[in-house]
Amino acid sequence: MENTRYDIAIIGSGPAGLSAAINAKVRNKNIIVFGIQELSNKIIKAPKINNYLGFYDITGIELRDRFKEHIENLGISITFERINEVYAMGDYFALDVNGKMYESKTIILATGIEYTKPLKGEEKFLGKGVGYCATCDAPLYKGKTVTIIGYNKEAEDDANYVSELAKTTYYVPMYKKELALNENIKILNDRVVEIQGTDKVDKVVFENNEIATDGVFVLKDSVSPTQLVPGLEMENNHIKVNLDMKTNIKGCFAAGDCTGKPYQYIKSAGQGQVAALNAVTYLDSMVKLS
Amino acid sequence: MIEEIKDENFSTSINQASTPVVVDFWASWCGPCKMLSPIMDEVSGELGEKVKFFKLNVDENPNIASEFKISSIPTVIVFKDGNVVDKFVGFKPKQAVKEVLEKHI
Repeated sequence: MENTRYDIAIIGSGPAGLSAAINAKVRNKNIIVFGIQELSNKIIKAPKINNYLGFYDITGIELRDRFKEHIENLGISITFERINEVYAMGDYFALDVNGKMYESKTIILATGIEYTKPLKGEEKFLGKGVGYCATCDAPLYKGKTVTIIGYNKEAEDDANYVSELAKTTYYVPMYKKELALNENIKILNDRVVEIQGTDKVDKVVFENNEIATDGVFVLKDSVSPTQLVPGLEMENNHIKVNLDMKTNIKGCFAAGDCTGKPYQYIKSAGQGQVAALNAVTYLDSMVKLS
Repeated sequence: MIEEIKDENFSTSINQASTPVVVDFWASWCGPCKMLSPIMDEVSGELGEKVKFFKLNVDENPNIASEFKISSIPTVIVFKDGNVVDKFVGFKPKQAVKEVLEKHI
């Protein structure tokens, strides 16, 4: 890994993230943008957009292509990696991609609002048998029974790893694809109703069945902002920001749908710009201090 | 530097303290633990004598880890007069860690 500490790490490649990126780039900051090839799964699904000033009667895909052209012209590329967790270390942030770490002085969260609703009992037993990082906590379940609720193919690798340590491993696929799992894993094709227990997890209740388990790992595509950035303050299910797009964590900004309604493209782009400019101001103040 | 605590000396260390005691449950294979560790060092430096800090390696000390039902790490437990008074699971930034501990000083 190269030892770059970026000025700004932008998490998300929708209108908020890209607008933040172009504004940070023209101010000559060393940036990294994490996102997806399509830029935004929401935009490409929009059949017609008439409320983006200057682009009357445009399709989502056309608008996405304009965005793409714009960032390419400024030499901005997207890093196609998914951030698992962001650690606020004080004067910098450590961004974890499956054990690989990136560092940046500031971050802008532009993650949209697509995270899956928690299962019943999931939040209640978080840290009491429910976890989100199988590779982190698997050794604690040596010789015990573990249930993995997997929302994507990557969860299968984690399940295979867990199955080498646990006595019994159950896998509950939340998607329809062929599974590549170790033979000792028991697959449960059933709908999860609730995670139950007393002071810690003791079972998972399904529509047609229930199983006793010591631990449950819930492995999703996208996580809520408080799991992504521990310590982040929320308000009504959105990231709490002020008019400068500052969050409660120093150096951490947020923009777009993840900060609240209305969920609109140009509002997201505007907030991304405000976030980037304030991140730049913050970086300048850090330089003066040191 | 935060002192390591073990299964053997756990009860005595926790019960004898005249201040609140903080124990950081960790393991070498745990990424978030590694990130939390320097934060705990800083906080312990700032809170000085008001709180006693320990860390416990859950791999080497399975008895205490299981007694306190540690199912995710890092887990940080705050003890007062030998009793658990507070607990958090997972990484927290420095300010948030301090807020938890300052409630018990």
